[in-house]
Amino acid sequence: MANWIPLWLHKLGSPPIFYRFAGTLRPWALALALLLGAAALYGGLVLAPADYQQGDAYRIIFIHVPSAWMSLFVYGVMAVASFIALVWRIKLAEVVAMESAPIGAAFTFITLVTGSLWGKPMWGTWWTWDARLTSELVLLFLYLGVIGLYHSFEDRRQGARAAAFLAIIGIINVPIVHFSVNWWNTLHQGSTVRILGPSKMSGDMLWPLLTMMAATKFYYIASLFGRVRTDLLAMESGKDWVRQIAEEEAKS
Amino acid sequence: MSAFFAMGGYGAYVWPAYAVFFIVLIADYLAPGLRRRRNLRELRARLARQSARQQRSPAP
Amino acid sequence: MSQAPLAPACAALLRRDLTLAWRRRGDIAMPVLYALIVVTLFPFALGPEDALLQRIAGGVVLVTVLLAMLLALDAMFRSDIEDGSLEQLVLAPQPLALMLGMKILAHWLTTALPLIVIAPLLAGMLHLPAAVMPVMLLALLLATPLLSLLGAILVALTAGTRRSGMLLALMLLPLCVPVVIFAAGAVAAAQQGLPWLAPIAWLGAALALALVLAPLACAAALRIALDA
Repeated sequence: MANWIPLWLHKLGSPPIFYRFAGTLRPWALALALLLGAAALYGGLVLAPADYQQGDAYRIIFIHVPSAWMSLFVYGVMAVASFIALVWRIKLAEVVAMESAPIGAAFTFITLVTGSLWGKPMWGTWWTWDARLTSELVLLFLYLGVIGLYHSFEDRRQGARAAAFLAIIGIINVPIVHFSVNWWNTLHQGSTVRILGPSKMSGDMLWPLLTMMAATKFYYIASLFGRVRTDLLAMESGKDWVRQIAEEEAKS
Repeated sequence: MSAFFAMGGYGAYVWPAYAVFFIVLIADYLAPGLRRRRNLRELRARLARQSARQQRSPAP
Repeated sequence: MSQAPLAPACAALLRRDLTLAWRRRGDIAMPVLYALIVVTLFPFALGPEDALLQRIAGGVVLVTVLLAMLLALDAMFRSDIEDGSLEQLVLAPQPLALMLGMKILAHWLTTALPLIVIAPLLAGMLHLPAAVMPVMLLALLLATPLLSLLGAILVALTAGTRRSGMLLALMLLPLCVPVVIFAAGAVAAAQQGLPWLAPIAWLGAALALALVLAPLACAAALRIALDA
């Protein structure tokens, strides 16, 4: 009855079909990301009132929190794709996992930089050894380790499988790091900084935040598909369908 | 308008944060396009070399 | 073909690795010398005040031991990959995880144990109170095998690559953060007269878990890295 779903998924796993599928979906994802992002920026920077405690500095939240969320979300996608790649040896899953890593690293980097730009006026310091900040930094190192391991192999598929294994080890590690840094903070009663105040967010601050979260999701889809398409072309460069694309693009 | 860019005195923190966000994401978005164009150019060069060799080989 | 029983195979492998390490005694001394030099540099950089050195002693010794182990980690499987005996091990009828466990044990005995022996000297150079010394040794005794086990997984992953020194450090850093926190936490707690058993217990629990899981993960990683 619903036989077409696994069939469709199976077909989608083949590189030329996914290449075309991603090619048609990518402009739509990018358009949605830009549209939602513009709406969120307008809502967040212009419409939303200044916070009564933090003034206008809180407006960094509209990019900081969505980026932080994406840095974890992308790692989750990468770990799931890695698991699929290791268990079923699907080429597409390897590519998705490995091309997610640079995007996730970009979001993690943005989170760290915007976080310290927010922290400086609010807490008076660029950096504090809080559990969340430290976990985010460790997450960046995990991403860089995965990317580095992937590129240190000469055979790309073998590199992808080794890096996928590292990604899975990393996802076990993240909660452990978070827990241990929390414990460490209680031991060293250092400067106590409250990350988020007790204040509840009002509606006109909340909707730009949620819209921006959606926009970053669509951006991720657009960026990932672009990267996966590039990688598929490079991996299958001997095949006929890639040759056709190369010739078509030479004409245009 | 200038009040908007001043961000209540926090402009020096808010705008760099947004600049980082956009610069990093734009760079991330454009990078695979460049790589893709280079790969295709190399592939076309390889194909051209191959076809040239094939045309030459029948004539001894 | 008769299959060699498990225990003699393990013992043979351990004896072989220890013999090889003993033939190159200079390599065993290198991490110890490195740790000694690093610890010597700290008073020069920070000044010789007793109070300051006492405060940082536990952390410095732990981080130094970790770095020295990292230095030696790269060599864990290198010679075996070069002469092909690691591939023999993968093909052997004995379970690979157990064999790798023996190799990790041999590596721990030859690199971490000398460091633990010298650790009281290092701590003494930084004026760590003698009362804290047993806690520090206990923390090292639990933390170093944990680092060897975690490091072995990563070394196995990089087995198929040519250069891996810096990469290994980058990959190990996120994994060793909790180990450093709990080991140094135990020493700091003991120094402040606080109960130090909880972090030691956490380290012990992590070690028990790693003893079971890490050789399996190491075997899986090696199969991926050598599967050409």
